[in-house]
Amino acid sequence: MATLRRLREAPRHLMVCEKSNFGHEKSRHKHLVETHYHNYRVSFLVPECGMLSKELKNLVMEIGPYYSVKNLPLHELVTHEFIHTFVKKGSFSALTYNTSIDEDNTAALLPNGKLILSLNKDTYEETGLQGHPSRYSGRKTMKFIVSIDLVDLSANLDSKKYERVSWSFKEKNPLKFDFLLAWHHTGAEESTMMSYFSKYQIQEHQPKVSLSTVRELQCPVLQSSSLAGEPEEACSALELFDWLGAVFCHADLDNQPYNFISTYRCPQPSTVVAQACLCTVTGFILPEKINVLLEQLCHYFDEPKLAPWLTLSVQGFADSPVSWRENEHGFQKGGEHLYNFVIFSNQDYWLQMAVGANDDCPP
Amino acid sequence: MKAVIYHAFSHKEAKEHDVQELGTQRAEAFVRAFLKRSIPHLSQQDCESHLQRKAVVLEYFTRQKPKQQKKKSRGLSAKQRRDMRLFDINPEQQRYSLFLPLHELWKQYIRDLCHGLKPDTQPQMIQAKLLKADLHGAIISVTKSKCPSYVGVTGILLQETKHVFKIITQEDRLKVIPKLNCVFTIEIDGFISYIYGSKFQLRSSERSAKKFKVKGTIDL
Repeated sequence: MATLRRLREAPRHLMVCEKSNFGHEKSRHKHLVETHYHNYRVSFLVPECGMLSKELKNLVMEIGPYYSVKNLPLHELVTHEFIHTFVKKGSFSALTYNTSIDEDNTAALLPNGKLILSLNKDTYEETGLQGHPSRYSGRKTMKFIVSIDLVDLSANLDSKKYERVSWSFKEKNPLKFDFLLAWHHTGAEESTMMSYFSKYQIQEHQPKVSLSTVRELQCPVLQSSSLAGEPEEACSALELFDWLGAVFCHADLDNQPYNFISTYRCPQPSTVVAQACLCTVTGFILPEKINVLLEQLCHYFDEPKLAPWLTLSVQGFADSPVSWRENEHGFQKGGEHLYNFVIFSNQDYWLQMAVGANDDCPP
Repeated sequence: MKAVIYHAFSHKEAKEHDVQELGTQRAEAFVRAFLKRSIPHLSQQDCESHLQRKAVVLEYFTRQKPKQQKKKSRGLSAKQRRDMRLFDINPEQQRYSLFLPLHELWKQYIRDLCHGLKPDTQPQMIQAKLLKADLHGAIISVTKSKCPSYVGVTGILLQETKHVFKIITQEDRLKVIPKLNCVFTIEIDGFISYIYGSKFQLRSSERSAKKFKVKGTIDL
């Protein structure tokens, strides 16, 4: 009985909403965008806009390539050459591809130089590197997290720590994964990536962009000063979040009684907008590019526009071992971790961060 | 009874011996009065009992053999054994190169035990022999352990106690590895065997006599 009840319950999820202004000096938007490392999909919705401006379109098209390698052994990521060439110059991000966070071993390289491994119990016992049990394991720990600081290691190559890590990755338990890589560099060294990993079938991919225009969209009315909404005048942040999800799914917002798929109704008060532009970019996207996109969207309101607000949503990889900074992330029933900016014409913004069940509270 | 010992003089004997014959009654009374006057502290009762010469049984003694104190050899307690330091190895003698001949001896011993280790020998036979064999001198290494810092320790086994292996590594360091929750690897002539330490918690002397049963999991 208890199992049945537990299966029927919706998994716990957390959402943090905050509001601030982009001009405010203590605004955390940059920091939060930069520390959300593995971004899968970026989408923005601009109401009352038929076509995107040229700058926005260029930005979206040139969001930068990402690469995929096959069977890359972990000891390649610990060599001095690699650390010196990629990690120290710019920010290098890597994530294992096609591994489930709660079943298999997963590895991720964060831009700040930390290599995070999320290992099964047996792999952890064989690898012999010091780690700690994951926070979402229950009584019998099944998952262990090992965190290796590469910048620290490269500082002294003769240290016992470095020898132990190399020995473990080369001889004791050589682990190989398929990785997705992305590198934000400050120089013009594009081709080094391809040549460095040429042994591992490296392939370059461009993120997939899809632009669409939605006609006759019902949009809720929002007031930037009140997150919780006024009863007859504006909608709350939670209602907006739900509505945005419905729009991205292309669901009908009318609550027609004969509609089988969705009975969602647009929150009141709402206005009908003649057209809205919806753009989605899918791929392994670097947080620096998202920052640039955010800046550009802020400048959208430099000229007076009909739209009262626009939204930018970013979703993270469901199988990433970290969500924000180094907070642990797990899948459980739906490994979502995403954030959503609502940008108003007076440079105010709302920020909503949502995480799923096996996650820490977003910062 | 009295009649057996005493009998009265006859008249003739009395006249001959010039003894005045008293009657029995009068004789008894006389003896009693005489006793009473001469031994005044004794009561009437005691006089009577003395006259009757009863033997009083006091105690019954058997000849007892002295109880044999069984001398049990208690042996020394663990503390005393540790103080005697029989099993410690001096730091000067802790050199890896000193123990390599021991390893060669052990390899020879195992080869004899398995009647020659040919490449086609059955692994089951080797396992069965290894279960009962003595492992002192083997090169042993930790492959899996609940504690990650034990993993990878390799060396020659010097001592095996109930719960612990004492190993000397190539850097001449004596390491003490608990058997519980560890998997050890022994390699002999190309045959690699894994020993699950949790099931092996026996003194090496007792292990040769023990029958191993399959019980529980081998998961650490």
